[in-house]
Amino acid sequence: MSEPLFVAEALTKRYGSGAAEVVAVRDVSLSVAPGEIVLIMGPSGSGKTTLLLMLGALLRPTAGKLWVRSTLVSGLPERKLPDVRLRQFGFVFQDFNLLSALSALENVAVVAELAGIGGGQARKRAAHLLGELGLGARLHFLPEKLSGGEKQRVALARALINDPAVVLADEPTANLDSKIGREIMRLLQRVAREQGRGVVIVSHDQRLKETADRVLWLEDGQFKAMVTMAVDPVCGMAVEREGAPTAEGKDQTYFFCSRGCRDEFLAERLEAVAPR
Amino acid sequence: MLRLALRNLFQSRVRLGASAGGVALALLLILALDAVVAGMERQLTAYIDGSGADIIVAQGGVRNMHMAASTMNRSVRSRVRALPGVAAVTPIQYATNMVTVGEHRHLAYIIGLPRDAAMGLPPRIVAGVAVPRRGEAVIDRSVAETAGLRLGDEVKILGMELTVAGLAEGTASLVNSVAFIAKDDFLRARGDGSTVSFLMVRVTPDANPVAVAASIEALAGDVTAQPRASFSAEERKVVKDMSADVLTIMNLVGLLIGLAVMALTIYTATLARRKEYGVLKALGARSGQLYRAVLWQAAVSVMLGLGLAVGATLLLAIALPRLEPNLTLELTGGSLLKVSGAALLIAGVAALLPIRQIVALDPAQVFRGGGR
Repeated sequence: MSEPLFVAEALTKRYGSGAAEVVAVRDVSLSVAPGEIVLIMGPSGSGKTTLLLMLGALLRPTAGKLWVRSTLVSGLPERKLPDVRLRQFGFVFQDFNLLSALSALENVAVVAELAGIGGGQARKRAAHLLGELGLGARLHFLPEKLSGGEKQRVALARALINDPAVVLADEPTANLDSKIGREIMRLLQRVAREQGRGVVIVSHDQRLKETADRVLWLEDGQFKAMVTMAVDPVCGMAVEREGAPTAEGKDQTYFFCSRGCRDEFLAERLEAVAPR
Repeated sequence: MLRLALRNLFQSRVRLGASAGGVALALLLILALDAVVAGMERQLTAYIDGSGADIIVAQGGVRNMHMAASTMNRSVRSRVRALPGVAAVTPIQYATNMVTVGEHRHLAYIIGLPRDAAMGLPPRIVAGVAVPRRGEAVIDRSVAETAGLRLGDEVKILGMELTVAGLAEGTASLVNSVAFIAKDDFLRARGDGSTVSFLMVRVTPDANPVAVAASIEALAGDVTAQPRASFSAEERKVVKDMSADVLTIMNLVGLLIGLAVMALTIYTATLARRKEYGVLKALGARSGQLYRAVLWQAAVSVMLGLGLAVGATLLLAIALPRLEPNLTLELTGGSLLKVSGAALLIAGVAALLPIRQIVALDPAQVFRGGGR
């Protein structure tokens, strides 16, 4: 496996002290490889957002370390963190958070300009990125004139404009219908697979499990049990490896959503090797 | 950030209108008041400026006309006339008095002119004569119009009934006007033929008025001789000193109104965009970059307000004299500089409060659905 883009080691966040102390995140470790999608799920109040804030260098952990591309981000002084957020992370928010006075193009370009890229170059890059995401005809539309899916694609372009190592997405499909939600997930998948970025998603949306390489369950500020996902080779459904019916192949283990799929898989294999 | 500031500003036309309009009104108050005072100063010295004299000689220590009295021995005229560099001398009599028409009384500088006066005449005559003979007066047209006077009508000056023989223009202000009568009538009313009030002096083409004024003071005894421009400046200074407190108070009021309007509108504009500033902070914007956006907004609003205020003052300068002929507005470079400075001060101070808001803004709020 390639070297992780992003490593969180024993992150802890405590609020208050003494009897009033609340531990929002406790001793959480996580690493994200290039091209990997990690989905963090958990009940409300489990510490998902606090963890995401720490992972995005928006909140300093009480203890633990955070590395991004071998830079110890958790050790950097406060004044250097905006630059890390600007260049190493792309953020995708639940309610898009586009700047209402700026067009789609300007919403993306402004983040490049914050990173010191000149206006013309920033707009050119933003237009290219939006074009790739299918928004070439919507460049000069204000957010209020865009659909939810278009807004989220603009937000995704904005997250990618400074070529970040990791995209952090907070409930990226929460305000979208299922079709548009799947479309956004496909785009996030492309961002991970084709561009080699790490993607960390915090969500309640069970559908996202299909796209994730790993699903982590956060409860009471800790990861309870790690769930590794695999794709059923028969029906194509994403399945949790643990407890799933399996079949051994020549070099690998196959995981199935049901015994039916496994039997079908095995029967097809038998048929393929049987003499005619 | 400039684009963001401009878009934020222009997206809400109502807010922009309120912001720029409020600042414009406040700055208009300062500009218009300055313009009225500058116009009044110019009107007050219009007679001196158009007198044709290069030097004005007065009693020692007297440096202007307004609220002053000057008395010099008549012999000073011949001593001044004899000095090198002096081409001509016109003695005039001067008193502050009333032009009375029935119940109407108009404060005026009364100038007693000799029949052969070469200087100190009305700067512009629109009807009748420029130099009054005995029993005649030349008054300002606006005073005549206000009092319903025409050439040949009677007017009372220094207690004498005189006939209006000429109408001058540009010698009246909101405060007073200038009326011209014959020297002989002046002396008849005020008694002493051995004195003059001021000497209007013209120098030869090759002479320097400053040097000639100095030699007049040195050789002619207890007199004060000033080039015309200095005399005018002293006249304006007296008026300015008298109105300085009122001006300062009104300027301060204008400044405070502008500041309050601007601070409130920029504050509410920033408050309305609080979440968006939080988003930018979360994405990696530095506080300094966000301050610049707020400062740009304030600066652009104030500059728009300044432009509106200048435009409105120029319109007033055209419209007001039509309603009140003795009121002229003059927009000066000094006043523009002062108001521009005030505008910048307003922009800077008005942006302070929103900047404090941005400093306190926690970018993490964006993820918690807060920051609204």
